[in-house]
Amino acid sequence: MLEMIARLRTAIGDEAVKWEPEDLAVYAYDGFGEAPPPAVAVLPRDAKDVSAIVRIARECGEPIVPRGAGTGLCGGAIPIDGGVVISFARMNRVLELDVRNRRARVQPGLINLDLSKSALPHGLFYAPDPSSQKISTIGGNVGTNAGGAHCLSYGTTTNHILGLEFVDEFGAIIHTSIDDPGYDLTGILVGSEGTLGITTAIDVRLMRMPEAVRVFVCAFGDIDAASQAVSAIIGAGIVPTALEIMDALMVQAIEAHYHAGYPLDAGAVLLVEIAGPQDDMDASEAAIARICSDHGALSWRSARNAAERDILWAGRKGAAGAIGRLAPNYYIQDACVPRTKLPDALRSIGSITTEHGLQVANVFHAGDGNLHPLLLFDRRDAKQIAAVIDAGTEILEACIGLGGTISGEHGIGHEKKETLGLVFSTDDLAAMGHVRNVFDPLRRFNPDKIFPTGAVCGEVKTGILRGAGAP
Amino acid sequence: MQSASAALIDLPDIDLRKPKGFGLGGLRPAHALAPRTFEALAHLLARCSDIGAAVVVWGGGTMQGVGYAPERYDVAIVMDQLCAVVDYEPHDLTIAVQGGMRVAALMQTLAANGQFVPLDAPRAASATVGGTLASGWIGPRRGMYGRPRDLVIGATAILANGTIAKAGGMVVKNVTGYDASKLYIGACGTLGVIARANFKTLPKPPRSRIAVAPLPERTAQRAIEHVNMLAIEPAASLVISGFGASVEGEDSVDGRLFVLLEGSEAVVERATRDLRSALGSAGVPKTTIIDNGAGASFGRLLDAYVAPAPSAWVTYRSFHLPQLADEYRGQIVEKAQQHRLIADTIVDARNGDVTVRLQRSDAALIDDAFVAFDTGLREIAPNAAIIAGDAALRETLEPWGAAPPGFEKMRALKLQFDPSATLAPGRFLGRI
Repeated sequence: MLEMIARLRTAIGDEAVKWEPEDLAVYAYDGFGEAPPPAVAVLPRDAKDVSAIVRIARECGEPIVPRGAGTGLCGGAIPIDGGVVISFARMNRVLELDVRNRRARVQPGLINLDLSKSALPHGLFYAPDPSSQKISTIGGNVGTNAGGAHCLSYGTTTNHILGLEFVDEFGAIIHTSIDDPGYDLTGILVGSEGTLGITTAIDVRLMRMPEAVRVFVCAFGDIDAASQAVSAIIGAGIVPTALEIMDALMVQAIEAHYHAGYPLDAGAVLLVEIAGPQDDMDASEAAIARICSDHGALSWRSARNAAERDILWAGRKGAAGAIGRLAPNYYIQDACVPRTKLPDALRSIGSITTEHGLQVANVFHAGDGNLHPLLLFDRRDAKQIAAVIDAGTEILEACIGLGGTISGEHGIGHEKKETLGLVFSTDDLAAMGHVRNVFDPLRRFNPDKIFPTGAVCGEVKTGILRGAGAP
Repeated sequence: MQSASAALIDLPDIDLRKPKGFGLGGLRPAHALAPRTFEALAHLLARCSDIGAAVVVWGGGTMQGVGYAPERYDVAIVMDQLCAVVDYEPHDLTIAVQGGMRVAALMQTLAANGQFVPLDAPRAASATVGGTLASGWIGPRRGMYGRPRDLVIGATAILANGTIAKAGGMVVKNVTGYDASKLYIGACGTLGVIARANFKTLPKPPRSRIAVAPLPERTAQRAIEHVNMLAIEPAASLVISGFGASVEGEDSVDGRLFVLLEGSEAVVERATRDLRSALGSAGVPKTTIIDNGAGASFGRLLDAYVAPAPSAWVTYRSFHLPQLADEYRGQIVEKAQQHRLIADTIVDARNGDVTVRLQRSDAALIDDAFVAFDTGLREIAPNAAIIAGDAALRETLEPWGAAPPGFEKMRALKLQFDPSATLAPGRFLGRI
């Protein structure tokens, strides 16, 4: 190990290599959990540094774990098998902003929101907007094919990546483009959670800012009515840019923290955003308002200006943080079901959490069928941790039973790898294994992620789960 | 191979077709077999792998002009029996169909519920969903709605050893395992057979309108710039030169502009006003509007991408930054003129691709002119690839663009997925 550290220091510089225990502690955890610290953490400045790191780690037989901001919620960035953590904190620049062709080349450590801030003066923006966008990185977003509140209209990360530069297992720097002839390497790398190579640059598509944006808040008696309204809006052929639901518990927490102006007497709040040509706004708003009214809406409020829109969105995007007021810790689940199955899925979540004696707050991308129940607990109580894990797994099973899947946007990481077999057969996984065999036959890139190894699901989680929230 | 061949046609749930209609590059398969179920397709592929028979998957045959002729070709797997809707819940905005479904049939099914999937396939009545995906086709509306790869939310592929492998699902957001569906899209059937494709569907725009305008000399570039700056972006905007009456409108010196506007009534009306004004500023005097039959007009434009010419012909497509596409067109046309070839062209102003159909300017010209052009084209547009053309002529030309830096990974993927080289051997980039 000392030899590897010495070689790394020679290759990329002393100050880019961290190996003292107090420096390494920060690289042992992410938004999901905590593992023992890695042997070494490195902070490359460019693709050549990354190439050197990969070569040295390979020669020393050490695994490599790429790390963006560590906001991932499935343990994708924790160094389960030790080895080398590559932090992209110093590779955080916009390399090229091509306004006329509406694209940009960025480094993987660039913070998501900083990209849109760079593009905004030119009337452009980067569409994928995970709730973590103020801190999560584009590289991490590529790893998990991150979604966000606006996927409903704009799609997920993979729909906005035009090409990648990555370092392969031998340290070669390879560029891909979706316009290249041949197999879609870009498409398979996005969402592979760092298990196929290390991304060093990303070509992204930028979109024009919409001419007009409107945001509405609509109150319903219960979450079922709100979900039915969402189905009806989609069924009517209207695709807003966002359709988000929060239940009563969630709204209380958000209001206490953000004073977003959500109605506190509602059983559920639906946040709607429409965007596009000005000419469509009145008709779309009227149609959505009518559908909501038909589904028992209790109230309807339209943001009058950009400031009001921002406040309404700040509440939604800060929802998870606001939960700290309700419980010491929370565990956020991520699952996706066909849109029309949302009411069934929510009923299942309600009954499962009740059975386990857990409080649940729901906030979710209703338009996509993407659920995020937050299970509240106190991690000092082992029984509560066990209940959270069991309920979490049962929720996933319920969603699969409804034709859904176990992750809509957070990824599989370490947390859900043993549940992957609930969705895919051995043959399905073998085909994915073919891909892994090509890019990482030695299983050195982010090992023990995504694919099952046979450990019991609960064992994995109880050992690592920290839960977010107050310490 | 004789007794082994008998083993193929004895499999259950497989219909026989006459092999005559499935020739490719001078090769004709011994068998053309149409499986009726995924299991029958899987058994057939496994059996072909076992006996060393080479397979080409055949949808509508509309994009078989892509790629090299296969090195070997024993069995055509005809997908016309696997053409059903598997799962469609309109309110979920998702649909799953079998790979052999015709694109036009898919559109008809969706239109009944006011929806569509903008695959933009040429010859949609014949083209199949699986074939369109496998060929890597991308159409002119992709800037607005996404590429076919962006619309696919899951797929089931049958691999060469008969494994039935699914990826993705029936939800619109999914990061569960690798996005393996994307590997089969654009792979020309060399990694697996797309047996089922799951799509997210979109609400069909209430109005579609086409605007065409002849472009006087030195107006094409300005027209493109003005159209690209419109507040309401067209669903498609192209500059066409040639193709005669098969495409809507008439050429002036710089060809003709073809714009597709889609959206609500109000949006299309405003977009039309803005477009007329922009074109006027660009020096384009006359714009013709087509409302009735706009869909059919757009379909004819798509057909032009692979439409044959009267004499020996071949069609290339290359990809550039949108801003530079018209400049590249100029260079490509100049190269064609150097070799006395007639060039019909389509420049996608929004997305940046340039399509050029070449034919002889006089009958006496020998095919060497095409070969010389082919070599010269590589210097201008290294990623140019042939998408259609005379079979015999294509044999003399390089069908794929230059291999990208990740080519060795592609070769390794082929070896992993199809170690016995059963699926269209030698057909793909680098003859993998």
